[in-house]
Amino acid sequence: MTRAINLAPLLLAATAAAQEMPGMPSATAPSPGVLIPRLQGRVWLFEDGQTLIEESVRLEYGLARDLSISAELPIYQGFFDAPRPSDGDIGFGDMDLLLELRILREDLNAIDTVRASLFAGAELPTASGGFAEPTLNPCFGGVFSSITGRHGFDVSGRFTFNTGEGMASPLFLTDLGDDFANLDAGYAYRIHPEAYGEERVAAWYLTVELNSVWTTGDNHEILVSPGLLIEAPTYAIELGVGIPLSMEVDPAPQVEFAFLAGVRLLF
Amino acid sequence: MHRIHVITAALCCALGASCASTPRPTSSPAAISGPNTLTDGRYTLVVHGMSCPKCISNVEMQLTRISGITSPIVDMKNGFVRVEVSGGKSPTKDAIANAIADSGFTLVEIRGGVE
Repeated sequence: MTRAINLAPLLLAATAAAQEMPGMPSATAPSPGVLIPRLQGRVWLFEDGQTLIEESVRLEYGLARDLSISAELPIYQGFFDAPRPSDGDIGFGDMDLLLELRILREDLNAIDTVRASLFAGAELPTASGGFAEPTLNPCFGGVFSSITGRHGFDVSGRFTFNTGEGMASPLFLTDLGDDFANLDAGYAYRIHPEAYGEERVAAWYLTVELNSVWTTGDNHEILVSPGLLIEAPTYAIELGVGIPLSMEVDPAPQVEFAFLAGVRLLF
Repeated sequence: MHRIHVITAALCCALGASCASTPRPTSSPAAISGPNTLTDGRYTLVVHGMSCPKCISNVEMQLTRISGITSPIVDMKNGFVRVEVSGGKSPTKDAIANAIADSGFTLVEIRGGVE
């Protein structure tokens, strides 16, 4: 099973593809017929110097005004001690397939808006190379986003039914075999421009997220994730780090630090 | 495997119920002030909810799909989209409102002339 998309320390988009936190869902989606690819790379540093490089490819497509579909496939390269995948080995994680429905869009003035979406789908059993357990795991959740002037707020929750047995040598908390919930909250502050003008400029945001995972096996993981988001009319760049606040993940290794870099494109 | 089927069926039912109650754009075309049909000339569309630079591309992409509308220019500061109507195509207010809604925002008013 793959690590859930919003577990990372640091990104998703209603039609606006508006400002999106780097590491958690936002209540945004592509316009009908619009495809938004997202490439994201993460480096996970675990205890004992073990390292995992994760590269994920995500495609999101607008099916209708308020309905979109997305697929995300993570690719892993591990640098571990036995019995985990040996140095340099490469494998896939489970593909995340979601249908997202916007249930609220209230545009308050030129800039301010509130939006909410529900999503449901499954992790598909595409994992290979010992990086995750290939299982079909249904999931559902919701996300609320609000933009007020220079301030953006997001809150999301997702529950995943784990149908696997759990990995003998799990990498992540979500590989233990328990059902789990992702609970995330994020805040973005636009540092540039102070106010929008008539010219086209990229907007720069400082972001901070609280990313957490809670399992039915009484394990949990909470990370605080500061980041930087640069958003232009046709692309967005995101950078971030993940710092553990609280971890009960035994027997999975503890994450000591995580880095994230990503890019989103609008076609 | 039985558990997967039960869970999947529950999720499909929940999503189906939500689809049936999907809200339409906040402003219906009848509530939007401005002409029902746009003759050749310049107009200013007052749009709400354009909160980021990517909104510009979304709005422009959807508006340029309407026959007769050219050169949309977004002014995020005021929530204006300036457009030119040409070629005698006479796009309707409904078509413009739907394009703005498809791009993820709300058309509030159509003003004649460019502000």
